Amino acid sequence: MANLKEIKRKIGSVKNTAKTTNAMKLVSSAKLKRTEELAKRSRVYAGKLTELLNEIAHKLQKAGKESLDNVYFKEVSRPNVVDIVFITADKGLCGGFNAQTIKRVSQLIESYKADGTKIRLRAIGRKGIDYFKFNNVELNDEIVGLSSAPDYAKAAEFINEVAQSYVNGDTDKVILVHNGYVNMISQEIREDQVLPVDPSKLELSAVSTSELEVEPDDDDTLLEALVKRYIEYTMYYSLIDSLAAEHSARMQAMDAATKNAKEMVKTLTVAYNKARQEAITTELIEIISGMESMK
Amino acid sequence: MELLKLEIITPNGVIYDDDVRQVTLPGSEGEFGVLPRHAALVSLLEAGVITLIDKSGKEESVAINSGYVKVDEEKTTCIVDGAVALTGTGSELAEAISEAKELLKKAEASNTAIAAAVSKVEQIGKTR
Repeated sequence: MANLKEIKRKIGSVKNTAKTTNAMKLVSSAKLKRTEELAKRSRVYAGKLTELLNEIAHKLQKAGKESLDNVYFKEVSRPNVVDIVFITADKGLCGGFNAQTIKRVSQLIESYKADGTKIRLRAIGRKGIDYFKFNNVELNDEIVGLSSAPDYAKAAEFINEVAQSYVNGDTDKVILVHNGYVNMISQEIREDQVLPVDPSKLELSAVSTSELEVEPDDDDTLLEALVKRYIEYTMYYSLIDSLAAEHSARMQAMDAATKNAKEMVKTLTVAYNKARQEAITTELIEIISGMESMK
Repeated sequence: MELLKLEIITPNGVIYDDDVRQVTLPGSEGEFGVLPRHAALVSLLEAGVITLIDKSGKEESVAINSGYVKVDEEKTTCIVDGAVALTGTGSELAEAISEAKELLKKAEASNTAIAAAVSKVEQIGKTR
């Protein structure tokens, strides 16, 4: 009765898998709650910061500086070099979470290549690094550990390096791609243009029109400090957003896996019972036929 | 009594959001006070102490490392990197003060500004 034994062993192993995936789901849901809280709190800060930047930009525009001629706002119609910063998870087992980001990045690369633009990739998160390395795509930056534990100082250091190369003229545009959190069951790919800061995105009409005094007096100091903080924060917030999305994606994936495993246990149990019944029937037939032959 | 709305926001959340009578802020060009109906103003903030008098007339202090403030006629919004509220009594206050000193020492500002802020924090510890 090797078949019976085998099925029993299989049931045990699937049950174990279900236990593991269920545990992972619980861990992810706990972590998601924490990350969500973090995201909620920093969203207020991000909102206010953007508001302030809006107002300054608006003021400068009104002050007669036709377009903001600050280097951070200079829009290039045909960029020669584009930096793509993308965030993936350090770990797998979260459904299509990483694959979606990678797909979008690949699409971006294709479309820029068609325009003859040079691409520089900066990867955050092991999964993305592994993928592009495996496909022999050159990466300018490889950062591991930041996406699973967002840290403001580290994020700022990284993005400042990128910003520096933008100011130096090594790149004309910086794009940030990550898979963002929508709610418990869905994520969406978000693509932000970090540099140059897109003034059309700033809602210039929504701000008050009263005269605004600025300290220190020269506008550039404040504006520069603000823009710097703005991009640092965009980076940091994207990391948190991505982490929240990762946890929600993993939760979903693990939930599905647990369900599948339970389904499988059911099917296997039916198969097991059938096999057992078969064995009993065979045994009975043997006994009866034995008795018949003795008559 | 006329009041102004004050918000102090850090990356970790809103730490103060209430009506106050007045607030004194450590601007990068020097300390300045804000009363209700102050003219609109945007300023960089340096490491220092925000002192406010709340609606019941009680004085409160918050140590900050750096940030920005936007003042308009009704509302003052401080966006700061790190902040420690110097509240409570006894050991709670002592803890807040040592935390605030730590924050100030790490701030990227001139030594004089940091020293001034630290001594201010220490002063608060003595007077309460």
